Amino acid sequence: VGVCGVQVAEVRVDTETGVVRVTRVVAVQDCGLIVDKLTCDSQVAGGVVMGVNYALFEERIMDRHTGRQVNPDMEFYKLGGLKDMPKIDVHLVDMPERGVIGVGEPPTISTHVAIGNAIFNALGVRVSQTPFTPERVLAALAGRGGKGS
Amino acid sequence: MKNFVYYRPSTAKDAVALLADRWGSTELLAGGTDLLDLQKEYVAQPEKVISLSGLGKDFREIKAIPPPGTQPMPVTIGAGATLDEIAEHPMLKRAYPALTTAAGMVGGPQIRNMGTLGGNLGQRNRCWYFRDEHVNCLIKGGKHCFALDGENRYHAIFTQGHKCVIVNPSTLAPVLIALNASVEVLGPKGKRTVELAKFFKAPAGPNEREHVLAPDELILSVSFAGKVPGQLWRFGSASYEVRHKQSYDWPLVQAAVAIPHLDGKVQDVRIVLGHVAPTPIVAERAAKMLDGQEITEATAAAAGETAAEGAKPLSQNGYKVKLVAVAVKRALLTAAGHKKYWEA
Repeated sequence: VGVCGVQVAEVRVDTETGVVRVTRVVAVQDCGLIVDKLTCDSQVAGGVVMGVNYALFEERIMDRHTGRQVNPDMEFYKLGGLKDMPKIDVHLVDMPERGVIGVGEPPTISTHVAIGNAIFNALGVRVSQTPFTPERVLAALAGRGGKGS
Repeated sequence: MKNFVYYRPSTAKDAVALLADRWGSTELLAGGTDLLDLQKEYVAQPEKVISLSGLGKDFREIKAIPPPGTQPMPVTIGAGATLDEIAEHPMLKRAYPALTTAAGMVGGPQIRNMGTLGGNLGQRNRCWYFRDEHVNCLIKGGKHCFALDGENRYHAIFTQGHKCVIVNPSTLAPVLIALNASVEVLGPKGKRTVELAKFFKAPAGPNEREHVLAPDELILSVSFAGKVPGQLWRFGSASYEVRHKQSYDWPLVQAAVAIPHLDGKVQDVRIVLGHVAPTPIVAERAAKMLDGQEITEATAAAAGETAAEGAKPLSQNGYKVKLVAVAVKRALLTAAGHKKYWEA
């Protein structure tokens, strides 16, 4: 049984600093038979939160000489806090005739793509690598494709 | 964490008497937000931990009472005052918003409730090689700075003359240096006063810290006063941090500015940069070019460009040079009371 969803993101990009803030995400999720509405809502919102983190923050940074991860902690393996999270609107599509289908992982997939497209829409240049850090956004604005150094 | 003996003296003198005269075997514990992390990672392995929680009220008091008339307001903040107490102090908020803004942006509420002024100034750097127990970096006695040719996106951009390219992690220090603060220190031979602008240094080995204090000295308090009599409420200050995350993150770069009298043309502006070098950096040339000028978007931007001059970034942190210019511009505009165009 397939599952689908559509998400739309609104972002603010500071073109001087490259800092991106996601202000709003609308998530429309195909849910099949909804067994518990509150849980389902919260699954989708949680998926969006994860997606915002993929888009802006999460990155495993490996040291090229020692092969060790330099950020194996919550300090520099960054995860957004409350202030970093958008307003999230969840719309559940209830289709009982399809029976019970998954809703845990599917909502995490579209978010960072929608955010990437929103940044492209705002800037007119594509930041080609997640997370969309200030460094990569500035590099994209300077015409270097958003790969950073 | 390695076992240690815990002490809780009730006077600063007793605390100093317990300190060893070399780094590493004894550590002072204030809020513990840095030391406990270092101990858990086996980066700090002290034999004695000396808690400062038993020290008297003076050690954590904030004295900031406007004197009668138009005199400048002298401020003395005990080293044990928490970051939250500083951030929420009504008189400091009104007179020196740079300081309360910076204090209010450190870590999260838990860190600010525990972390202290003294700890903020004395904390160790956040270099991920330094904090990795398994990496024997230059300032842990090794031969090599791993950040120089390794992962250095958050490291120093003013690197000339430095073998270790950490950034100083304190965000209160640039503000306090901009305010011409000085630190009162207690050692075995008594008290001494150190200008905060001369308090920090770049460590180059395991027997050095990020500051000039001796291993058996303790920070008692930090003092500063509005410089110009009669101008207390015309004193502008601001701290601007460029941050990747808005919650719980270190700044990518920080600019702190102080403008002694905010009437049209300015004089004797102070601009101090944080998170760009092993110590906070006073941007003297940038500040000087504002003498006799009004703070406008153009003059602020020009000062920002000048402040960023001379940077020598590493392989991955060239982007921070541009951020310095932006941070200085925004800090100046904020201090001068301009509308924050970046927060439309």
